[in-house]
Amino acid sequence: MKNLLEHSGIEPGRLHFSWVSSAESTKFVKVVHEVCAAVKALGPARNFVKKMAEVA
Amino acid sequence: MIEYTAKIREIAERILRDGTVDAVLGFRRGSIPMMNEPCLVKDPAQVQTLVWDSNCGINLANYLIGRKDKIGVVAKGCDSRNIVTHIIENQITREQVYVIGVPCTGMIDKRKVSGSTGGEITEVLEEGTRVKIKGADFETTVDKADVLQDNCAICVHPNPVLHDERVAEPVPVPQDKDRYEDVRKVEALDPQAKWEYFEDLISGCIRCYACRNACPLCYCPTCFVDESKPQWVGKSIDPVDTRTFHLLRAYHCAGRCTDCGACERACPVGIKVRQFTKKLEKDCRELYNWEAGLTLDVRPPLDVYRPEDPGDFIK
Amino acid sequence: MDGGKVMRIIRIEKDDWVTGLGRLSDSVRLCGPVKTGDFHHFKQLPKGVVPDLEYRNTRLSPKSLVYPQSEAMLEYTLDTRQPDHHIHKEIAKDFSPQALLGIRPCDAKAFLLVRRNFDTPQYKDTYWIRRYETTTFVGLACDRPCTTCFCTTAGSGPHGEEGCDVLLVRQEDGFLAKVLTPKGEALMETAKWQTEAESGAPATLESLKKDAEGKIVSHVQTEKLRQKETLELYEAPFWQDVAFSCINCGTCTYLCPTCWCFDIQDEVYGLQGMRMRNWDSCMYPLFTLHGSGHNPRPEKMQRVRQRFMHKLKYYVDRYENGIQCVGCGRCIQHCPVNIDIRKVCDLMNGFEPGACAT
Repeated sequence: MKNLLEHSGIEPGRLHFSWVSSAESTKFVKVVHEVCAAVKALGPARNFVKKMAEVA
Repeated sequence: MIEYTAKIREIAERILRDGTVDAVLGFRRGSIPMMNEPCLVKDPAQVQTLVWDSNCGINLANYLIGRKDKIGVVAKGCDSRNIVTHIIENQITREQVYVIGVPCTGMIDKRKVSGSTGGEITEVLEEGTRVKIKGADFETTVDKADVLQDNCAICVHPNPVLHDERVAEPVPVPQDKDRYEDVRKVEALDPQAKWEYFEDLISGCIRCYACRNACPLCYCPTCFVDESKPQWVGKSIDPVDTRTFHLLRAYHCAGRCTDCGACERACPVGIKVRQFTKKLEKDCRELYNWEAGLTLDVRPPLDVYRPEDPGDFIK
Repeated sequence: MDGGKVMRIIRIEKDDWVTGLGRLSDSVRLCGPVKTGDFHHFKQLPKGVVPDLEYRNTRLSPKSLVYPQSEAMLEYTLDTRQPDHHIHKEIAKDFSPQALLGIRPCDAKAFLLVRRNFDTPQYKDTYWIRRYETTTFVGLACDRPCTTCFCTTAGSGPHGEEGCDVLLVRQEDGFLAKVLTPKGEALMETAKWQTEAESGAPATLESLKKDAEGKIVSHVQTEKLRQKETLELYEAPFWQDVAFSCINCGTCTYLCPTCWCFDIQDEVYGLQGMRMRNWDSCMYPLFTLHGSGHNPRPEKMQRVRQRFMHKLKYYVDRYENGIQCVGCGRCIQHCPVNIDIRKVCDLMNGFEPGACAT
């Protein structure tokens, strides 16, 4: 999934995967921080955003 | 390959007469050059309508879904792999299907042929490895290798992997085929360029779903694009929705696609739909050492957890 | 809008053609065939771009210029702070005048066929009608019909005038233009194409027309369709065989200039909403799916039968003016499994209940 999305032009760093159990709360916090930082660093997504259907 | 016709008819007649099957799924001559029409023959007296040539690119495994009868099917390499996938996915049983295996030397791409001539084509004749193209006021002969469908040009599984009877001896398997040259070219681009490449590729898409319907793997009773509660994807030709459709459809074929080319063949506006699935196919090969539909005995990697599955992308 | 009396015949030289287009583009949006990839598309032309008239026919029919594939109809806001919340409003649309240059006679006739559905005394589709009325149709006669064209037996012809405001006939050094309607006359004036053709022009055109018609090799039989019993045709045994190979993909309906079905849908983005319509196809199972979950046409054979019955029987009975098909041949050329409407038409026309099943 990650490979296909990156292949189609979504910047690496927008999609992340992690195994976190509900018992691993510290890990969860850490992962959330990392993902937020990574995505913020990429800036707002410009592609793949739909506001209103582009129709005639 | 046209000499297979007689053998196919002979086998079809025999298995219909002796009750091995209730019907035979094959091709009959089309009404325009370079087209043949899939047909179902139930009466042994009708087997003379069956033909075989290099215009049999449609994947007949598409018609097997949901059938409950015993059916013979004329299958080339890629088709037979889809039949294997159908059996593994419990869409049909092995006992139901009598595979008439056809070692394939490739299918002609009618758009490549039309593109190579100026006028309208009225007849196309195959002569061994050469193809004669006739129009009202011209005639030319080309090498079949130059007008093969894109997927046939890089095929490495021309012989049926599963068959009850074969119409001829297996053809030599091409070696050293670089299947992923075009995928690597895209992999080398930066993200924005990749985005634009695909944007351009699907810019002509009219959401007719011919690709989905021609694909033997797309057999969901209700496709995700047709759902409305909830609606996952918009139905208009908005570019984001169109892109979502293609990406998701490719993803649903991950690890199952045999690169039969039916999708590209069916597309009325000539979109190279295989560019989505080929990346997944390459990844399956590299990450899981897996090619779809080669054997009935192993479950596909996306179906099974193995400890050595690649996992370095997971935090 | 039907082609009737020819008002004038004008001769347009090649250079005149280009200059005239320039004059037209100041007041009219020009659309014409443009080569994109391997085939031609009917598109809006950017200023200065000349339509590519060296083409057989476009892959998709030009119906999308009067009837876009996806079209916004109404808009609304769900934001209760707005005074007009939860009220459907007309959305701003662009119906500025346009000219379809180089449309084939079969495609032009197709608009007349579709109009019977969208412009009736009781029901008027305002979007379609407004675009249709602000469009001028400049047809281009065919001198090289394809072997899959069967326009002459489908109510049109390579030099057909119905549906055209002007009909261009190619000449060595430009065109002869038959001006057919006041709208066509107005276009010719704006472009300043006013040179009357020489007196031999009508005879030239007649002879070119006969030539082109002689080149049509595909014919369908339609004379008995009207008198056939609908239910007997419906229950005919050949439908299973005809429909077997169909993959219900929708290619035929989307490429067809006379198919008109659509689906209306709302899309909501946060607090903003839009009602739009999209082309739909009777080939899809979803087409007839009721809200209750019942589907009157769940089987493929029923849908394939429906398409041909509609085009070649129901429409014939309802409008008594021929079949809902203009013989353009696109469905024949592009059906992925080679279902051929010519074959089906002849099967239907020749069907005798009680005779041996095919």
